[in-house]
Amino acid sequence: MFWHNFKYSLKVLFKSKVLIFWTFAFPILMGIFFNLAFSDIENSEKLDVIDIAVVKSDEFDKNIIFKEAFKNLSDGDDKLFDIDYTNLDKAKQLLEDDKITGYLVFNDDINIVVSSSGINETILKYVVNEISSNAEMINTLAANDINNEIKKGNYNINYEEIYAGAYKLVSKDTAKLHNISNKNLSYTMIEYYTLIAMACLYGGILSMYIINYKLANMNSVGKRTAISPVHRGQMLVSSLLASYVVQLIGLAILFVFTISVLNVDYGDNLPMIILLALAGSLAGLSLGVIVATLIKANENAKTGILIAITMLGCFLSGMMGITMKYIVDTNVPLVNMINPASMITDGFYALYYYSTLDRFIFDIVSLLVFSILLIFISYFGLRRQKYDSI
Amino acid sequence: MKNVIEVKDLTKEYKKLKAVDDLSFEVKEGEILGLLGPNGSGKSTTINCILSLLNFQKGSIKIFGKEMKPDSYDLKRQIGVIFQEVAVFEELTVYDNVDYFCGLYINDKKLREKYVNEALELAGLLDYKKFYPKQLSGGLLRRLNIACGIAHKPKLIFLDEPTVAVDPQSRNNILEGIKKLRDNGATIVYTTHYMEEVEILCDRIIILDKGKILASGTASDLKELSEIDEKITVEISEIDESILNEINNLENVDDFTFEMNVLTVKYKKGKNNLGELINFLKKNNVTYNKIFSERPTLNDVFLSLTGKELRD
Repeated sequence: MFWHNFKYSLKVLFKSKVLIFWTFAFPILMGIFFNLAFSDIENSEKLDVIDIAVVKSDEFDKNIIFKEAFKNLSDGDDKLFDIDYTNLDKAKQLLEDDKITGYLVFNDDINIVVSSSGINETILKYVVNEISSNAEMINTLAANDINNEIKKGNYNINYEEIYAGAYKLVSKDTAKLHNISNKNLSYTMIEYYTLIAMACLYGGILSMYIINYKLANMNSVGKRTAISPVHRGQMLVSSLLASYVVQLIGLAILFVFTISVLNVDYGDNLPMIILLALAGSLAGLSLGVIVATLIKANENAKTGILIAITMLGCFLSGMMGITMKYIVDTNVPLVNMINPASMITDGFYALYYYSTLDRFIFDIVSLLVFSILLIFISYFGLRRQKYDSI
Repeated sequence: MKNVIEVKDLTKEYKKLKAVDDLSFEVKEGEILGLLGPNGSGKSTTINCILSLLNFQKGSIKIFGKEMKPDSYDLKRQIGVIFQEVAVFEELTVYDNVDYFCGLYINDKKLREKYVNEALELAGLLDYKKFYPKQLSGGLLRRLNIACGIAHKPKLIFLDEPTVAVDPQSRNNILEGIKKLRDNGATIVYTTHYMEEVEILCDRIIILDKGKILASGTASDLKELSEIDEKITVEISEIDESILNEINNLENVDDFTFEMNVLTVKYKKGKNNLGELINFLKKNNVTYNKIFSERPTLNDVFLSLTGKELRD
């Protein structure tokens, strides 16, 4: 029954001209549009080096990790920051004169002061957060080493040496900051990534379409399927798998087209981008499944709700302007923690800004957990479904 | 004979409307039970409750002696349903549609192929295997709908108004097909508001109105409930009103109407009313074209029971 339903679900999806257009043709048309719109500015729209200031203080001087990281980030041809080490008044003045994106004040905590919200401000925040998380790791490692020395009875501790050792251990992580390069980061690429992310999420229309055929309150075919002796879980998973296959074929066409026809260079990150698209597609499909199974409305209303949820998710994740991601991350971080669009965009940014894959893997795992959770909820909603009216 | 379906005290309410009101009945193995009633009488709701598609407020439903639930897969395996609406995939061919639904019940590919072809033959669709539903006429679509519901050779078949909006040729084809299914041993529940169909097909009939059983029995049993015994219809081009008024004085006449040049006379009883009416018309020099006599129909029974026509 599983493969029987899978085979016919595939046939139904491939025969639906509307779905084929939105899954296969629309992303390609959008890709062509981006290519036409942005190809002229491809070379000129690389992100500028970000000007920031760091307020000199004893706290900053003692913060070996930040000092080292900033040194790395403001070195070389592919440097991310131009840093002015100055006093607080001058930093304020520079910000007021719009000469810097923001400045950092090191007290007990690290304060990032910016005057507006934009891509540069978001990058600054991400980098500081990343360094902070490394700093915590180094401090923890150092504290362990110090405790070990005390346990051995050695009270003559060389703190600088211990911290340097811990720093070296984490240096693989901090070293990635050497590699942060803005040379690939163009608005055009961001638009292509947005296109991939949106294509992933709009796969929900595929799964919703095919699941609607299994629901007695949606159409007569659903009634006929609902009275069949096929286990609901089997029906759900085989239908989902069929829509996943169609979605992946659509994505594969999109990748091939953007690479071979539009000459988009995904660089070394391509396998990771594909991996992220695989996980993102599953999240998009599971979103379609849950809307289909749990929302009691007609097919058009469900489609509207799914598109609205997806669009809102994309908007809040910064796909339509990165400022929004910064605002949401700062004020209501929980929203983007459960927003699949944000998980996808965060994954793309993680590939850009960090050379290690920790954050990227976290995003992949988040997408998988999100998908599995939604599929389980849908299954339990579907398992013994009886209706008040059909 | 064993009971294939047992419905006891079934009540289904939509907000304040009782769609099914304390309904109890059984369906015996091998019989065709007709559920006859006007639109909105609760026929489809009853079937949907039996199939466990709808929640209901009160009552119990057993199929093959077991309680019917949404996950009663062993029971579902033995059931086929032909819904009122055509339930097929627009994206699949005739053959693929039947194969898909049959495949939800039958795993074995060879057996399934045989069953699918038999269903297509029974529905008269063998020549349309590669057609898509949108290429079929309304009658052929209805036949496809039936083929999809019976291909897996169910022991219990529900047909919910399968002939709505079907041309006479397709209707005859469908009714013949249903008889074949019964002859092959299936138990059938047939809902319709076409009284002629239940008279032709059904071993037993339940007349429903407003979710309640008004009467049940064989067609002959039910006709006993009619207030009239004979109805005579005469096509007349012209007749004086005074002559018309005299019809009421004829023996056994219950009522008469004269509309659109058609005189309909209903008799409470008696078997030679036709001769007497012809004599009366001759005596009064009334010329007529056609004249024919009918026994009471189920519509007359329904009229007697509810005071309204079945198709009102």
